[in-house]
Amino acid sequence: MKKDKNLDELFRDKLLNYEQEPPAYLLENILAGAAGVRRKKKIMIWRVAGVAAALLLAFVAGWQLNTADREGLGLQVVVNEPQGTEAPDLAGKKTGAAPSVAGSEQLASGQVSSGDRLRPIQDTPAVKNEKFTAGTERLPAGYIQVASNEESGLLKPLKSILGLISQDKESVLVLQEKKREEVSDEVEEKTIDQQIMEMNHQMMVAQNGKEKKGRWLVGGQVAPAYNVNKTSQSEQYANNMLSSSSDAQVELGGGVSVEYKTNKRWSIQSGVYYSGLGQKSGNTGYSGGRKEYAFSDQGAAYFNASANIDARTSNMMMNSASGVIEFSGIPSGIVLGTSIEDKSLSSAVVVSEAQFIQNFEYIEIPLYLRYTLIDSRFDVEMMGGFSSNLLVGNQTFMDSGEGKTRVGRTKDMEALNYSGTLGLGFRYGLSKHISLNLEPRIKYYLNSLNSNSSVDFKPYSVGIFTGLSYEF
Amino acid sequence: MEDFKTIISECIAGNPKAQAKLYQQFAPKMFGVCLRYAKDATEAEDNLQEGFIKVFSNLNAFRNDGSLEGWIRRIMINVSLEKIRKQHLLYPVEDVSIYDSVNFSDDVVAKMAAEDLMKLIQELPPRYRLVFNLYVIEGMSHQEIAEEMSITQGTSKSNLARAREILKKKVVENFGELNAHNNYTA
Repeated sequence: MKKDKNLDELFRDKLLNYEQEPPAYLLENILAGAAGVRRKKKIMIWRVAGVAAALLLAFVAGWQLNTADREGLGLQVVVNEPQGTEAPDLAGKKTGAAPSVAGSEQLASGQVSSGDRLRPIQDTPAVKNEKFTAGTERLPAGYIQVASNEESGLLKPLKSILGLISQDKESVLVLQEKKREEVSDEVEEKTIDQQIMEMNHQMMVAQNGKEKKGRWLVGGQVAPAYNVNKTSQSEQYANNMLSSSSDAQVELGGGVSVEYKTNKRWSIQSGVYYSGLGQKSGNTGYSGGRKEYAFSDQGAAYFNASANIDARTSNMMMNSASGVIEFSGIPSGIVLGTSIEDKSLSSAVVVSEAQFIQNFEYIEIPLYLRYTLIDSRFDVEMMGGFSSNLLVGNQTFMDSGEGKTRVGRTKDMEALNYSGTLGLGFRYGLSKHISLNLEPRIKYYLNSLNSNSSVDFKPYSVGIFTGLSYEF
Repeated sequence: MEDFKTIISECIAGNPKAQAKLYQQFAPKMFGVCLRYAKDATEAEDNLQEGFIKVFSNLNAFRNDGSLEGWIRRIMINVSLEKIRKQHLLYPVEDVSIYDSVNFSDDVVAKMAAEDLMKLIQELPPRYRLVFNLYVIEGMSHQEIAEEMSITQGTSKSNLARAREILKKKVVENFGELNAHNNYTA
């Protein structure tokens, strides 16, 4: 034992501070190598910044479209304004034209309901309300032009991202081919041990190479999404609209995703998702200079939402922030009256308290691009893209304090619309194949969900998607 | 010390002159470290090159409160270890040979040149070479070596014993006459 210690000390004394001058050419290689690493780091930073900028650009395109759409709507409002301002004068002088509800011809007949200040509807003359057909009017040609710009604005950033992916793929293929050639030349000169070591190395490289090839991921996700209803209406429409009770509400969504990893960093994702949207409206709160309010008790609840009733079918329509609610008949438990300003049937007002809940359900088919920022057991990814959303559910409920009943649907809802999504994903590998995902996303609808030109209904939502994915 | 700080900050900024200065300061000593862990000079050169590239790329992670030489030495050892790990991952060298104890005198080693001792170490099988270097030269414990190399402490001890036996045998085989000659002249 002591002998061993002596031996150790002898080796240590002679070798611990042993110095030998390395060959001169090493310095050049080291400096070149260090510069290369710096360059690579810079390129990496630029690449990440480029991807972030591309995704941001794609998302900003959505916002820009939104602005363009609003300008289109603004034009519509200006066109309609003279009609809107003229209407009360005409109404005063002539038959007292009704405030517009949903543009359609209305004929008055039959008594609707009774109340303190009510009178039978059959007393009021029939009014043909052709002027106020904004509800079903289409946008002018300028608006269509904006829609075509939307396509090019969306395709450009997508194309640039796809270009980056294909460049990456090509460079990887060239490097792999070069490496294969180098290896085959060298094999003959190696000793057996070296050959075994080389083989091991090649096996590892091949194994790694396999991992870098295209991989599939399938998974399921659920997400509580906080929806914010961003709406605007033309002045005429808004004058006769139910007041929004809530601009935001939480809905539960989710679905199945399929992801294809084209290389170590990039992947493309699609799937099928379900999402819900909602809008709550009430018929109270508005006081803006209407004569009814002047006559009502001060401080008392005041209900004045205008309703439009088709006397033949007894169908009723009311304006809400997200579109015209089309009732299948006059809901029971609701009390209607006529307006002081307009005694025609089309000027009927709901004088009892009621809440209207509009629910919309969508099936989304997304196309997202994902870029891995940090590739380890805990991955961090950036994602962005677009979704096609199919309307599969459109229901309106009324809550009059005695329970919730289905009363109709929202008119003019687009069957298909598009949304842009941007998110940051965190993926934790539970095992070799299964990983846990957490992904905050923001989604913004690119076009109005309602085709009514007087309504611009473009909600956005913030959701936290959680789920599991299986990789193979 | 202040000079070192300036050189380090210029190296971080990517100044090749500062990098060359730092390299010239430490390269001979670090080449000695790499030689001990490599099987030959070529492998040592590769490790030195790779090690210094890592030093320059990660210099911003170095805290000025420690020894720069110690930090660079650790990088060189890690690079050397990693190289051996990669090359021998699937076919690790196990204790397949049993060496008989040889009649050995420390005096022979005392008279040997450092270059000769280096050559003997380089001729050791990789795992023995690693354990011998880490235990004897770097002064690490068997527990630390076991953690570093992902082996048991028993294997580390056994490898060290085998390394010593091989070294003694080689000393006797190649340099035995040194001792004999000295005895004769004494």
